[in-house]
Amino acid sequence: MNRPLVMVVSATLALAVTACGGGGGSDQKSTGPVKITVWSWKPASDGLASVAKDFEQANPGIKVDVQVVGNPAIWEKITVGMAAGGKGLGDVLHIGIDYLPGYMEKFPGGLADLSELGADKYKDAFAEGLWPTVTGKDGKAYAMPWEVNPVGFFYRSDLFDKAGIDAAAIRTWDDAIEAGKKLKERTGAYLIGLNKPAAGSVDMDLFQSLLQQQGAFYFDRQGAVTLSSAPAVQAMTLIKKMNDAGIVADTSGEGTRKKLISEDKVAVLPWAAWGVGYIPETWPKQKGLWRVMQPPAVVPGGKRTAIVNSTYLSVSGTSPHKAEAFKFLEYALTRPEVINKMFEDGGVFPALTAAYADPRFTARTDYYGGQPALKTFVDALGEGADATYYSGDYARALKIASDAQTQVLLKGADPAAALSQAAQQLSQQSGRKLAG
Amino acid sequence: MTARLLTRRNVPYFLVLPALLGFVCFKAYPILAAAYISLTTGAGAARSFAGLDNYVRLVNDPLFWTSLGNTALILVVQVPIMLILALLLALGLNSKLVRLRALWRLGVFMPSLTGLVAYGVMFSVILSKDSGLLNWLLGLFGVSPIDWLGSPFWARIAIVIALTWHYCGYNAVIYLAGLQSIAKELYEAAMVDGAGAVRRFWSITVPQLRPILLLTIVLSAIGTLQLFDEPFVLTGGGPDNSTLTISLYLYQNGFRYFDFGYASAIAYALTLIVAGFGLVQLKLTGGRK
Repeated sequence: MNRPLVMVVSATLALAVTACGGGGGSDQKSTGPVKITVWSWKPASDGLASVAKDFEQANPGIKVDVQVVGNPAIWEKITVGMAAGGKGLGDVLHIGIDYLPGYMEKFPGGLADLSELGADKYKDAFAEGLWPTVTGKDGKAYAMPWEVNPVGFFYRSDLFDKAGIDAAAIRTWDDAIEAGKKLKERTGAYLIGLNKPAAGSVDMDLFQSLLQQQGAFYFDRQGAVTLSSAPAVQAMTLIKKMNDAGIVADTSGEGTRKKLISEDKVAVLPWAAWGVGYIPETWPKQKGLWRVMQPPAVVPGGKRTAIVNSTYLSVSGTSPHKAEAFKFLEYALTRPEVINKMFEDGGVFPALTAAYADPRFTARTDYYGGQPALKTFVDALGEGADATYYSGDYARALKIASDAQTQVLLKGADPAAALSQAAQQLSQQSGRKLAG
Repeated sequence: MTARLLTRRNVPYFLVLPALLGFVCFKAYPILAAAYISLTTGAGAARSFAGLDNYVRLVNDPLFWTSLGNTALILVVQVPIMLILALLLALGLNSKLVRLRALWRLGVFMPSLTGLVAYGVMFSVILSKDSGLLNWLLGLFGVSPIDWLGSPFWARIAIVIALTWHYCGYNAVIYLAGLQSIAKELYEAAMVDGAGAVRRFWSITVPQLRPILLLTIVLSAIGTLQLFDEPFVLTGGGPDNSTLTISLYLYQNGFRYFDFGYASAIAYALTLIVAGFGLVQLKLTGGRK
């Protein structure tokens, strides 16, 4: 090789190396106030933004920048940031239960150890079943609970009355199926709606709450696959029974669900606490027609509560301002008046139990015929939901379980067979053992 | 110093330098990194070397074979339909009898310019079961509503329709360019010899277009093998994985399940298949030279 060529090539390589690895973290030395960035999504971010101002006033040395990254964009952004060793991540991250275990298990060091910063003293401050989900295998806490969504059973009292159904008498899902048949016959309305082909997005909340009511899930606490366990088969069989009885509407397709509900074709929404605000907003004309109660149990006398989902605030493991970020977490998540302000501005049902003493949780709401709608959910949490272990393979499990549900709903597959195949696939793909 | 560097022999290297830099950073490095990652396993950032484990897992993964089968099916059905349509369109656009040719050409090419999201939203509205345009149109002929995106069979057809709509015009324009480069004398001579329109098409147009036909077949085949956008936007790979393609499965593993090693292995499997197609093309076109 001649000399000029060598020079050009080595220059190229040097440039390539700096260009590829360039743009490292910018940790400015502490001149002036420390700035922490918070990643979240609408509408929760509105709640964060409103308390961030108060926090800045109380802590003059810290500036808080709440960024609306958006959901689901935030998951890819966090994933990419963590895969890049934490580069470019926000200091405080708003994370859902469906992603938290994945980040904790697959990116060691990606999230900051909050126990070290003093989080453990809040262990018992949150609704039962939540703290185990933020605790890693090493016993350290990697997030603080913010939002919790216990499952409810919203029903149309006018349609129930018309069909001669007494809601209070529905104690098990089998009762609900019998009521649903009556309802269909006398009013033409379906009991529930499901996105049967899972077109666009999966619709697994019902299946999951039926599992959770039985204290089960896709994985057990040790991380083994339990997708084909007896409770899972039981839950899927209930869904199949409903579908076979012709009382499940197919809500797939753009705007279908909204339309069906507007047309009085769906009488029950087995939705979580967020429904309390969402239903009046979306169907204002149905004011006074909806009521809410705890969902029926899977087995007679069984548990009726389940936590559908929950969201958390975490601190990035590579944040240069962990202490300040944790200070913000403490401020936002552990004070009843602050967290209730976020409930008001961001619609986030608080996980902090002390928050429920506020009168708003027992207030009567006109939309629900004067019923104190939120109280149903506070009561449900009081009963104590079981902790659910989502594991780092939740996304995969959700997809595989959804496929099984589609097979049952569209192709009439046998629940036990579909779930056993699904469990095997999940085990093969995730390298996890099949339980029992 | 500058004067010495900028010699007649050096300048070309400097000219290719920007492209080379871009290639090294954004192509060569990721390609090599993915090759290494495909040999590792583990969680997100914590990786360990695993040899060919991911590839063994791939061969034993029913979902991978499902995605491969779906992709092949879409390829075998969609590419011929689209290319025949495109050729017919090009013949029509090339006809001297057609008025407002510029407008028609624009109309035919327009779908290829449509952004992915707008296109996806538009098709989900058109294909909606209860209030979609397509079902309404079919309804005029007495066809009962089809669950385009909700039934495993029709979802595949829906993908084929969307793909054809999107890329047909693009191929038609390529054919049009090819048609216009065929010497007029050939047709005139054939007409003097008494050849009809069909005979002229098979004996002149098709053989003259042969290299272009091959090009579009290979390009479309590679494009379909990498099919991602349409199922991602329209069906998410469902229902029950009936529209899961290789690229979509790759994406799910990488960005939904954080399983980068496995996703990279899928990427390399796909590369192998695409390379196979490239080789076939080389054979077919190279043999004529």
